[in-house]
Amino acid sequence: MKISPILAPLLASCALGWTLSVAAAEPEEPVNKAPAVQDWTAIASLPDLSGVWSPGPLDRFPPGSKTAPPWRPEQAAQIAALQKLEDDGSPQNIYVNCLPEGLPSSVTQTLNSVEFLVTPGRVTVLGEFDGNRLRRIWTDGRAHPADPDPTFSGHSIGRWERGVLVVDTAGFLPQVFIPMGQGVGLPNNGDMHVEERIYLTGPDTLKVDLTVHAPKVLAAPWHASRSFTRHRERKYDLVESSCRQGDYFDDVDGRGNAVFTPIPKDAGGAPIPPDQAQAPTP
Amino acid sequence: MSRPLSRLIAAALLLATPALPLPAHHSFAMFDPSKPMTFEGTVKTLQWTAPHAILWIQAGQVGKYAPGLWSLELPTSPGNLSKMGWSRTSLKPGDKVIVDINPIRDGRRAAQFKKVTIVATGKVLTVGAIPGAQPPK
Repeated sequence: MKISPILAPLLASCALGWTLSVAAAEPEEPVNKAPAVQDWTAIASLPDLSGVWSPGPLDRFPPGSKTAPPWRPEQAAQIAALQKLEDDGSPQNIYVNCLPEGLPSSVTQTLNSVEFLVTPGRVTVLGEFDGNRLRRIWTDGRAHPADPDPTFSGHSIGRWERGVLVVDTAGFLPQVFIPMGQGVGLPNNGDMHVEERIYLTGPDTLKVDLTVHAPKVLAAPWHASRSFTRHRERKYDLVESSCRQGDYFDDVDGRGNAVFTPIPKDAGGAPIPPDQAQAPTP
Repeated sequence: MSRPLSRLIAAALLLATPALPLPAHHSFAMFDPSKPMTFEGTVKTLQWTAPHAILWIQAGQVGKYAPGLWSLELPTSPGNLSKMGWSRTSLKPGDKVIVDINPIRDGRRAAQFKKVTIVATGKVLTVGAIPGAQPPK
């Protein structure tokens, strides 16, 4: 093909410009854009999740029941041993150290109220448990990071589908429990992924349906649900609830300063009088 | 009684069991519900903390238990207790009280709180199920 003498410099400069623009096209640093008036206005047409949501009766998931997680067959011995621990009232492996529960327990096992704050690009879930639980569900269209830092509540992205907040969460710590009840559970051991559907079921009732994928310990996805009831009475307002505070006495040191002094605990986390800190030999 | 009928009655009893107070942040399985105890003591403090409030009671000899300080752990936190009629001043240091408890299994003076009666006033404080689980009327 013959290129005309006029066209040649044009093509060359285009090629150069293209090269330069490629060189300049470094991935842009993602930003959370400032919300516009219409972003706030759009929230008014979403389901109203305001208020304080009190959890419904607690679910337990004993092995063999219809509600139990479908554990992989090779977990049977561990599951039986954990259930025996629960039945015997022996020290437990869950909720003893004030670390966050993470999903799914923060939905299925909580006994304290939660709030959903809907703002442009995100839904923030706050709770009284866990020393004031905080989850961010990004609704701005972003994807999960390719390799998220593992956390207790994972990385959550959500979208609204006909009044349902559909949430997908990945990036969990492998230690996060899949509960059998309040006392025992089995760590997910890695690769857990949780789907949630959060929706109003009436003027003041809400449901969270969960599907838990945990291929290291579950033979199939586990389906669980929890109902919540809305309260607008101010006595239901959430209060500060620091999980570690109950580990300490209010005390005064030798210089007259107000300090916290550790309370002795039994292996399961129960407070023990200081003069009986050592467990008796059986 | 035929076995299916006894099973039915057992199931009915199970269903009829009132909603029990539930622990908030650790299992209460270390406490023994089959050995409930009632005794008199004096309030040292009502520790108004999350995840569980703790009622510290000074008591004399109680059965096999030597005199001393008892920790009576409530099953929930101030956030929930305040909706059940409690406040951090519900019980004051020095109040004479009668307490109902489930003792810890290992024999120490530690227990699950069930009920307190203030001797001077007869006022009774208990802990109910999760507050607000039902819609407001």
